[in-house]
Amino acid sequence: MASTKVVNIPKGGFSFENCQRNNFMAKQGFPAPKAVKTGTTIAGFIFKDGVILGADTRATEGNIVADKNCFKLHYMAPNIYCAGAGTAADLEMTTLQMSSQLELHRLNTGRQVKVATATRLLKQMLFRYQGHIGAALVLGGIDSSGPHVCCIYPHGSTDSLPFVAMGSGSLAAMAFLESGWKPDMELAEAKVLMRNAICGGIFNDLMSGSHVDLCIITREKAEMIRPFEVANVKGERQGSYRYPLGCTATLSTRVIPIEIESTVVRPVAEESMDTA
Amino acid sequence: MASERYSFSLTTFSPSGKLVQIEYALAAVAAGAASVGIKAANGVVLATEKKHRSILYEEHSVHKIEMITPKIGMVYSGMGPDYRLLVRQARKMAQQYWVTYQEQIPTAQLVQRVATLMQEYTQSGGVRPFGVSLLMCGWDEGRPYLFQCDPSGAYFAWKATAMGKNYINGKTFLEKRYNEDLELDDAVHTAILTLKEGFEGGMTEDNVEIGICNEQGFRRLSPAEVKDYLANIA
Amino acid sequence: MSILSYNGGCVLAMKGKGCVAIASDRRFGVQTSTLAMDFQRIFEMGPHLYVGLPGLATDTLTVHERLRFRLNLYELRESRKIKPQTFSAMVSNLLYERRFGPYFVEPVIAGLDPVTWEPFISAMDLIGCPNVPEDFVVAGTCAEQLFGMCEALWEPNLEPDSLFETISQALMNAFDRDAISGWGGIVHVIEKDKVTTRLLKTRMD
Repeated sequence: MASTKVVNIPKGGFSFENCQRNNFMAKQGFPAPKAVKTGTTIAGFIFKDGVILGADTRATEGNIVADKNCFKLHYMAPNIYCAGAGTAADLEMTTLQMSSQLELHRLNTGRQVKVATATRLLKQMLFRYQGHIGAALVLGGIDSSGPHVCCIYPHGSTDSLPFVAMGSGSLAAMAFLESGWKPDMELAEAKVLMRNAICGGIFNDLMSGSHVDLCIITREKAEMIRPFEVANVKGERQGSYRYPLGCTATLSTRVIPIEIESTVVRPVAEESMDTA
Repeated sequence: MASERYSFSLTTFSPSGKLVQIEYALAAVAAGAASVGIKAANGVVLATEKKHRSILYEEHSVHKIEMITPKIGMVYSGMGPDYRLLVRQARKMAQQYWVTYQEQIPTAQLVQRVATLMQEYTQSGGVRPFGVSLLMCGWDEGRPYLFQCDPSGAYFAWKATAMGKNYINGKTFLEKRYNEDLELDDAVHTAILTLKEGFEGGMTEDNVEIGICNEQGFRRLSPAEVKDYLANIA
Repeated sequence: MSILSYNGGCVLAMKGKGCVAIASDRRFGVQTSTLAMDFQRIFEMGPHLYVGLPGLATDTLTVHERLRFRLNLYELRESRKIKPQTFSAMVSNLLYERRFGPYFVEPVIAGLDPVTWEPFISAMDLIGCPNVPEDFVVAGTCAEQLFGMCEALWEPNLEPDSLFETISQALMNAFDRDAISGWGGIVHVIEKDKVTTRLLKTRMD
């Protein structure tokens, strides 16, 4: 029974309709351009009451900083969050898709989702795409079996460890974690260690930058702290560069007035019901 | 499912122009356990009877009222197994909408899509219509919604309605009791009283299920909460 | 040479106080030869919603048509105006569907929320990674110059008139340093009760 008629136009799945054209253009000397990457510093570790995740907020497109304050911590489930490095669009869409699947799983089973479920779902999906979906993730969460942190690589392999770092700044971050991490850390200590690890990336890795975002997941709740620390403030402008009005020469001006239908809320849904 | 022998539609017109399969489906609904939905000024309530044929039955493991999205809930009268499929499909449709638009599906949209699915089962080969009518409640853009979906794929927006066994009495009762500025708590009471109209035996927290939807979203009441409401009625 | 620079062109959008502005150049070329000076790469998607599609011109047109199709269907089904955030998600969805064979456009979206009149801007890479900042977004062949101009000129809470001056000067000074953008400019300033479209007098070399 195909119920595809119900579904909206986007059928789901990728479309390869442009591939032939794009390959042809690549042969003519116009290779496909690069997408936005988040050359990143992300890290996660287990502390006494749960899990802490951290990320910087820089997104780069080649050498250009495309976004100075982007989100790298993504919601997966109420008890699971994940930090992402790699191709920004892949991260955004993969985490959205997976959080949607976990929500379905949660509703259909009526239970809290396990971190292992989220990990397996992600690694199976990434393995299926053989590394073409460039998402490197640090997944953290807490469930009935305790706190978990795990790395997921773009090809679908995973490590489950007490502390992990990923992205281009992972070496800098790992230096801090290796020297500073110990079992059963208090929350305050954990925040400082994570801040240091991410700042290690921000200041030593060129592809990481801007601020520190944290996500703290405990048994009671998940808390997103954004920004936890504004590590780099834009300098204050000394003079005004504002142009006086009327200094831009124009050829023509057209004003389209828009009449606002006022603020009366007319419940459209109910009216269309009568046809039933 | 659609094996070749049965790949024609089973729902066909009778000489008098009726789709009797759909009428039989509605009969299955009318024979099912009663459910009630009432829209209040600050929320919606769904209530339903859970029949137990034996005292050996474990009451609180299987639910009739289900959450579809954090702001939409659903209940049925008719055949339980058919309902399960619709719940799964409705949840999937809601998630598909979310992934495309990154916005929660409006109740009216979900109802329309579920109704389209139900309609397809009246016209496709190798399948029969669903033996359920659905009540869907939701909260979006600052106001409550209540819809009913029938096996034919028809859907209606209600202020209050009853389905299943004794629904005619239920509706008459609601017509007398309903008023526009009912508060959610009063609506829960009215819903219980409506169910009580045709209830066989005593009402307990084990054989009544209630779900409410307001600005905070949809939730199914715990047996303890249901017990409190029932105590207030008696 | 990147395929995104084959036809040239750039778009930028800025937030103001209760208003947004979106601007682009008007050149259509094939590599270094200019073929037209009245090319449209900003499209009206609703009374308060505009999208700019810099990149390969053929894809500018195709993506515009596909978006129009999806948007019309959305507005008919739901009988309401789309929110800019939702439109942004729709564009993102369209582009990511072609993750492995993309359209060569980098969309810029500017609009006001049809209910709250909250300004909204966003930009995407060619596979639909959204970037929703609080200040300005840029895309196209002179993105680097535009970034520089905007970082220097943009300030919070600009009134519609000042926003026009700021965005126009940012645009013109940026594309004057880019050989394959320019040849006229167009600026739309979107306010609650009106949209003002101005054609700019620019260098034509």
